Amino acid sequence: MSVISFVSGKVRGRRPGSVGAEGAAPSQNKRAGAESEAIPGEGAKFRLRDVSLRYGNRPVLEGITMDIPERRITAVIGPSGCGKSSFLRCLNRMNDLVEGCRLEGLVLLDGEDIYAREYDVTALRRRVGMVFQRPNPFPKTVYENVAFGPRIFGIKDRETLDGIVELSLKRAALWEEVKDKLREPALALSGGQQQRLCIARVLAVEPEVILLDEPCSALDPIATQRIEDLLAELKENYTIVIVTHNMQQAARVSDYTAFFLIESQGEPGRLVEFGDTATIFTAPADPRTERYITGRFG
Amino acid sequence: MNAGTAGNGPRHTVLRRPGARDGGFGEGDEALRVMERAAGVDEGKAGLTEGSAGQGEKPAQRPGVKPLYLGRKDRIAEAAEKAARRAFLADRVARLGIWSLSALALSVVALVIGVILWNGLGTALSPSFLFGKPEAMREGGGIWPMVVSSFYLAALTLLMVIPLGVGAAVYMSEFAGEGRLTRLVRFGADSLSAVPSVVFGIFGMVVFVIYLDLGYSLLAGALTLTLLNLPTVMRSAEEAVRSVPVSYREAALALGCTRWETVKRAVLPVAMPGITTGAILCVGRIVGESAAVIYTVGLFVRKVPWSPLRPAAPMAANIWHMYTEGALVPDWFRVASGEAAFLLLLVLTLNLAARWVAGAVRKRMGYRV
Ligand SMILES: Nc1ncnc2c1ncn2[C@@H]1O[C@H](COP(=O)(O)OP(=O)(O)O)[C@@H](O)[C@H]1O
Ligand SMILES: [Mg+2]
Repeated sequence: MSVISFVSGKVRGRRPGSVGAEGAAPSQNKRAGAESEAIPGEGAKFRLRDVSLRYGNRPVLEGITMDIPERRITAVIGPSGCGKSSFLRCLNRMNDLVEGCRLEGLVLLDGEDIYAREYDVTALRRRVGMVFQRPNPFPKTVYENVAFGPRIFGIKDRETLDGIVELSLKRAALWEEVKDKLREPALALSGGQQQRLCIARVLAVEPEVILLDEPCSALDPIATQRIEDLLAELKENYTIVIVTHNMQQAARVSDYTAFFLIESQGEPGRLVEFGDTATIFTAPADPRTERYITGRFG
Repeated sequence: MNAGTAGNGPRHTVLRRPGARDGGFGEGDEALRVMERAAGVDEGKAGLTEGSAGQGEKPAQRPGVKPLYLGRKDRIAEAAEKAARRAFLADRVARLGIWSLSALALSVVALVIGVILWNGLGTALSPSFLFGKPEAMREGGGIWPMVVSSFYLAALTLLMVIPLGVGAAVYMSEFAGEGRLTRLVRFGADSLSAVPSVVFGIFGMVVFVIYLDLGYSLLAGALTLTLLNLPTVMRSAEEAVRSVPVSYREAALALGCTRWETVKRAVLPVAMPGITTGAILCVGRIVGESAAVIYTVGLFVRKVPWSPLRPAAPMAANIWHMYTEGALVPDWFRVASGEAAFLLLLVLTLNLAARWVAGAVRKRMGYRV
């Protein structure tokens, strides 16, 4: 505990991208192959140091050390069950909801330890938004879905809300399709529109990071294409982490790729390789990455 | 291949017939076809089309057919035919049984409704009866104070039972977690809902009417009915809250809601149709309840009871009163029948309303109902 508060105390307030956390973080370079924490030329939004995660006594992730670059798209790939979703949920502490879930190691957002005792989880989740595998708009109107977050902040003024809703829908490339349907139920939209609505709903709370957990797995190719285009636009302003088990998608949209793997049943998932997407897909350093990418297992 | 060829057609024709005739026999039919195909394979082609084997043609006349399989096709066909007959018969018997049981149930309902409406509908629909003042000794009295009593009692009860029931349900399913406490509460609720309402009536009389000195009053009755209905309201609300998909909770939490905000803004609105249905059905049970009310509220009043501390006479209790000691008014049967008919219409309306409201709300939410 003292180490953590020391680190977060020391690092807090520094500019993102400074090397602050580096020196203080314990146990770097424990394993060869995962020594990719500092990506040259990029500021890190998240820094993970030797992160392990357990559900009860079942280890799910172990020894994850990586930096997630700011305003870039980072893809997380790996066979199912290797802990990709769990990894993503570490970043906005959605794992807190799972009983018996324990995290060890450090997760720093802009240098701040998000697992520190006094850290405000609701504030964290506003900064780090999440889009889920199945589109999950509330059974309310399109408008009310986007206004949901702002209303929680206590924004009541009609005009302000209208403005936020319009802007968010525009940023999510959905405005043209729904501007005449704002008062209609969100569940009447198509799957792809619903997913973009969910993105708009996240954008409406002005996050800095957007986490997406296989956002296209329930969508058809055209809807998928739309979302991918949208992500490319959004990375100008947001840090994006996307879990996908579609390798082509990872190759198409992401700047960096992290490959997770569990060696065998019951083992925790580990970060096998992390680097810029072009390298991972053309010249992976680890033979397991190559085997996975060429489709030989998983 | 129509029904008339039974008996003299080729064997497989006979056995297809139940399926072909019945229309609801698709599965058995398909199974037969599969079997026929299996049997026909050895003849190189689907040999059953012309019914050759069925008519006992010698396999030796057809080149390439092995005599070894001669008997097998017949055996398969025979077994299949038997199975089809059995299934056909079982299907008929089951249908007849289910149909007659439903008819019986429906006709009992129709009979009850019919008798009550026949006796009382005319009375119930006359304004002078519905809005009239009750008579204690003479004939020609109305039931307006009883109508008000019933609704007043229902409103008072709902005011207490809905917040308590929904609150308990939300606490149990959203905050408490599975544990000994929730199991105990659920067990208690289930046990309570098995207790006859007259027991609640006696309890209410002892505790609220006598011990707390509320006297026979709407409040004493409402407190008793709250206890009586709490288990059902709680369980139905819990059901409604639990059936809200986890994905809505996750969405709200991921947007930075606290747990309470999540419940308030994401869970409860979605659970509302279910909770509303439960509440409306609860109103039906309250206005229909007599035993618990007889001991706590009262049987007969002449004036509309405006204060909750006044005695009152909900319709269900008054009906009972009319049939037992109500003979003081000569037209007691007319009053009781009219009241019963009105009560029946009310409860039926409430049940329909419950369905309609839930459906309408769900539709507005965008669910395909
Ligand atoms: N809430 C949970 N409770 C217990 N085990 C879980 C829970 N969620 C996931 N797991 C387990 O953690 C492992 C990783 O799951 P997950 O992160 O969903 O993998 P992925 O998203 O890569 O398919 C799986 O073996 C899964 O069974
Ligand atoms: Mg997953």
